[in-house]
Amino acid sequence: MKRRVKLTFPQYLIKEPVIFTMAKKYDVLPNIRRARVTDSVGEMILELEGEEENLDKGIKSLQEQGIDVELIEGDVLQ
Amino acid sequence: MGYVRGLKCRECNREYPVDPIYVCEFCFGPLEVVYDYKEIKKALKRRIIERREENLWRYKEMLPIDGEPLVGLKSGFTPLVKADNLAAALGVKELYVKDDTVVHPTLSFKDRVVAVALTKAKEFGFDTVACASTGNLAHSVSAQGAKAGFKRFVFVPASLEQSKIIASLVYEPNLVAVEGNYDEVNRLCSEIANKYRWAFVNINIRPFYAEGSKTLGFEIIEQLGWEAPDNVVVPCASGSLLTKVWKAFKEFREIGLIKSLETKVFAAQATGCSPITYAIKHGSDIIKPVRPNTLAKSLAIGNPADGYYASDIVNKTGGYGEDVSDEEIIDGIRLLARTEGIFAETAGGVTVASARKLIQNGKIGRNEKTVICITGNGLKTQEALAGHMVEVHNIKPNMAAFEEIYKKIDTGQ
Repeated sequence: MKRRVKLTFPQYLIKEPVIFTMAKKYDVLPNIRRARVTDSVGEMILELEGEEENLDKGIKSLQEQGIDVELIEGDVLQ
Repeated sequence: MGYVRGLKCRECNREYPVDPIYVCEFCFGPLEVVYDYKEIKKALKRRIIERREENLWRYKEMLPIDGEPLVGLKSGFTPLVKADNLAAALGVKELYVKDDTVVHPTLSFKDRVVAVALTKAKEFGFDTVACASTGNLAHSVSAQGAKAGFKRFVFVPASLEQSKIIASLVYEPNLVAVEGNYDEVNRLCSEIANKYRWAFVNINIRPFYAEGSKTLGFEIIEQLGWEAPDNVVVPCASGSLLTKVWKAFKEFREIGLIKSLETKVFAAQATGCSPITYAIKHGSDIIKPVRPNTLAKSLAIGNPADGYYASDIVNKTGGYGEDVSDEEIIDGIRLLARTEGIFAETAGGVTVASARKLIQNGKIGRNEKTVICITGNGLKTQEALAGHMVEVHNIKPNMAAFEEIYKKIDTGQ
């Protein structure tokens, strides 16, 4: 299955290969569509493809490192 | 026949046909409706608009429908109140309140966007409409969907207050209360929207739905006598309303209904959920999501879809962003009520209190013409005011008791 997500990176993770590490560890295929980086924060819009269980684990591992993982459509609960 | 040319990605400008889609397949950017302004300019004149019924469809050429309006035929064209008492209290010369506490039928600006979304949903041939909401949107989809004959699915967090559930449930939608935190409800609804062929108003119908907010901007200009204000203060949740008010102003200039446009656009948020004003104040291009913690539930969107675009407009027009505490929100509601006789929901308190700060810190000039947007009715969030009201004068049923209390009131004791 595929998931489209927006990641927000804190400054201390901008230089780290966190996506590559997560993709390799959980067998998830990342397809980056857009990214924006400033001196204090980074943002990446991408599609993640893999088994549902692996996607859940991969996203959880990103969150545990301090990356904010959100829906690309923003909050739909209004 | 409408004037829509198609949909266009806000990020990469790729164009798409008019379909119930909301995100660019290539860059995942949001899609926006684009119009044939040359043709609209020929067809739409001030005198034509002025002759029409006083509802939001008087600007129908600028809305994304192909045929005639089908829903919300009494929505919109709310009062623009010249707020002299509030102006005096805030120390400005000319202040107006765009009063969307009285939008038909459910008393918030969401009736505007839902009217457009459901008309478009009919045109697309949907028989079911849906939304995920903690309040105003649920009320409007439930009510207007009933009138328009749709099957309705409304998703709410299971923890939602009973009063807000009843205000939707009375229209008898299929109301689904989801156990889980806001993130989990968001994610589930996104998955449901992608699986079922429903008109999920703020997901797959979003590009059309959001256009309904422009009518608030069109009305401000028309009601000011066909001119744009110096400043407009807009409350921000997803940021969509702010971007659409500005789009409305620009479109009226584009088709020649106003000559000049030098409005500064200001964003108002609650400090407990201020990703947009934080970015504006810190000069950031990136909107960092937050976990909302504010009294202003209708503005509690921690991951605002249009946050970047809203802050960009604020910056480019020379406006600013301001945010206020829960206490200031309550003060804002009370100030508006006692000066102008308008009872706003918590989002209105945010707007009034933010405007006050913007005036105090000189971002809004005291001799300029300012419009503040009040987007929902206070009867919906009465619980927020519990314990913050002036005292009730309790008396026995006799004249002596009244005279006693009257003396105290009269002498201000």
